[in-house]
Amino acid sequence: MFNYEKRLQYPVNIKNPNPALAKVIMSQLGGPDGEAGAALRYLSQRYSAPSREVQAMLTDIGTEELSHMEMVSAIIYQLTRNLTPKQIKEQGFDAYFVDHTTGIYPVSAAGVPFTAAYFQSLGDPIADLNEDLAAEQKARLTYDNILRLVDDPDVREPIKFLREREIVHYQRFGESLRLVTDMLDERNFYAFNPSFDKVKKKK
Amino acid sequence: MSNDAKERKAAMLKVQQLSFALVEAGLYLDSHPTCEKGIAYFKKHKAELDKARAEYEKKFGPLKMENALGADDKKWQWVCEPFPWVSEYERSEG
Repeated sequence: MFNYEKRLQYPVNIKNPNPALAKVIMSQLGGPDGEAGAALRYLSQRYSAPSREVQAMLTDIGTEELSHMEMVSAIIYQLTRNLTPKQIKEQGFDAYFVDHTTGIYPVSAAGVPFTAAYFQSLGDPIADLNEDLAAEQKARLTYDNILRLVDDPDVREPIKFLREREIVHYQRFGESLRLVTDMLDERNFYAFNPSFDKVKKKK
Repeated sequence: MSNDAKERKAAMLKVQQLSFALVEAGLYLDSHPTCEKGIAYFKKHKAELDKARAEYEKKFGPLKMENALGADDKKWQWVCEPFPWVSEYERSEG
């Protein structure tokens, strides 16, 4: 089960509204490499993980991603407070505004709604963990791109924190993949699904 | 920012820092479950976090719903403080 704690993982206190920025940061909520996809990816994949260590890793990183969804949502919420119709029009926020006002809705920067098609759950830990490694890199690159577009330190600080987390998660998924392959006979790692096929595991 | 707000922000930061230490150590321990240094680090920070969380909740309101009612409370304290997406700037607008 999940329990809510009434706080953010890292502080978000943004003084100046900036709807143009909100629009690009939105991608890390509901875009192809965003936090919603990350949370659902790991929390879906964990059931077929072949060891408790990897089950724990997917559970704990998936849970952290939920708190990142909340941080990204808080950033967007604060960037879109007290907007005037003039700001909304001039800063290109009008297309989002007409559908959602300033509510938080998971879409990509280009306005494509979130879809589960952004991730997989293959039921094979080697395939899944390779996807997870790629996902962390892609999310890190997206944060890099956001940082290229942002000057406001109130926004940069929490984004820099989120970027760092992608790097740590990449490291941990790398260890998880190694734990999985260490359980297997190295002559045929990649020829079967260790969570489904009957395979000989190392003692 | 008022003194009360400064104090609350500092108390929150302490909870955030210590809880982050546990998140980070916990992920590490998932893949290194017998690392003695990791286990000692987790235990030390867990004790400090429990203290920081209790101090925050006593002064500034519940962090967990199950802690939302003290013995003398007549009102549901969960709804007495803003939710965490509300910035210090918005809080100070009143």
